[in-house]
Amino acid sequence: MKITYTIPDMHCGNCAMRLEALEDELQGVTAVDASYHKQQMVVDFNPEIITESEIKAAIARKGYSVGE
Amino acid sequence: MTEYIVAFVTGLTTGGLSCLAVQGGLLASSLASQVEQDVRESGNPHKARVAQPILWFLLAKLIAYTILGFMLGWLGSVLQLNPITRAVLQIAIGIFMVGQALRMLNVHPIFRYFNIEPPKFITRFIRRKAKNGSGVVTPLFMGALTVLIPCGITQVMMASAITTGNAVTGALLMFSFILGTSPIFFIVAYFTTRLGEKLEKYFMRFVAVVVLVLGLITVNTGLNLMGSPLAFGNLVSAVTGPRVVQAQSPADTSPAAALSDTSPVCTLQANGNNGSGCGSAAAGGCPMMSGGNRSAVGSAITAPSTVTQAPTAIPVVEEQAQELVIQVENNGYSPEVTHALAGVPTRLVLVSNNVRSCSLAFVIPSLNVQVLLEPTGSHTIEIPAQQAGTRIPFSCSMGMYTGVIIFDK
Repeated sequence: MKITYTIPDMHCGNCAMRLEALEDELQGVTAVDASYHKQQMVVDFNPEIITESEIKAAIARKGYSVGE
Repeated sequence: MTEYIVAFVTGLTTGGLSCLAVQGGLLASSLASQVEQDVRESGNPHKARVAQPILWFLLAKLIAYTILGFMLGWLGSVLQLNPITRAVLQIAIGIFMVGQALRMLNVHPIFRYFNIEPPKFITRFIRRKAKNGSGVVTPLFMGALTVLIPCGITQVMMASAITTGNAVTGALLMFSFILGTSPIFFIVAYFTTRLGEKLEKYFMRFVAVVVLVLGLITVNTGLNLMGSPLAFGNLVSAVTGPRVVQAQSPADTSPAAALSDTSPVCTLQANGNNGSGCGSAAAGGCPMMSGGNRSAVGSAITAPSTVTQAPTAIPVVEEQAQELVIQVENNGYSPEVTHALAGVPTRLVLVSNNVRSCSLAFVIPSLNVQVLLEPTGSHTIEIPAQQAGTRIPFSCSMGMYTGVIIFDK
């Protein structure tokens, strides 16, 4: 399942890199494609293993908020 | 030498902070395993044992970027940049810097596109390598890999390395810059990598303002290099009136001489045999000249800003040449504004005496002249006869020091 989040706090390319690290850190997340330019991240995950709220919590732990 | 000092200081101030924001995480990742190991073995996670990998990281980064600078400089030399191309590149770099600054200040989302993002497969590769290694190899590897994720200021410096048009100069420029970034990198990484994030938050605005100012200066130097009337100095001159030094013959007693500046460094004289030949890069050939005896009479005029080097249809007075002497100094050229006779070939003599600044790299963009002068000596550039009203701007190759020759009837 793919979901797109708006991350308004990204302020450089490194932020995108840090968020993309979630694909290695979260079980059930198969790919993360974050873009500083678009201020967005696309998360490809398996909803049977991980929930959306868990992903959002992981994003928050990295210091970013998820926009509407 | 000046450009290396500027590069070093840029690295030491804005570059260090900017790079830290982008590459600090990479360094932290490469240190993580070392810290973990230290905690397990001695319970003392910081200090001496962390310093070493940081130094390896910075050393590898320094070497990698120096090689990159060499390649970029070589690329610039292959492209054979003439003064106008150089000026255009410089203006582009300046706009890029201003864009970066406005991005950092979060002025508008469009400015995010001034930051070049590396492809995903590269960031993924770097991230995974950083996580898995340890010891000396990982910091070395990570330091070298930072070339793949340059920060905005580094990208600007890379573009500058291309404009040098010389592999060694490009390498030295990048070396100076990266060396400048190293102290901040080391200090911050040594004490705590967390500070990187704080610096990013609190100092990015400061960095942005500095980059904005530097960007505007870079655009202006590019405009100077082009001899553009939009350059700051030319705009100021247009408003306040230029500081004119009148060309004159040493024996000239005409009213024009009375208008001249107090420094009698610019001479216009009948002369046909004391030139040392064409400047190697002088365009327009080397017109044959022989002695003449016409003395100079000029007047302070406001000339239209047209530049031409076409000697056709100009009333060239046969067998006459005029000589202009410009003193090359550490802080520019004297006189900055000089008048010459139209319709007569000009022998421009550049005299330097123990000069060590970038004013030695002399360019006349409109004539495609590029000369690297000796610290002490003189160099002659032959300028074909020009139409009345022609302005020929000249500057150092960086566009920092400028001047203009105005041709009058």
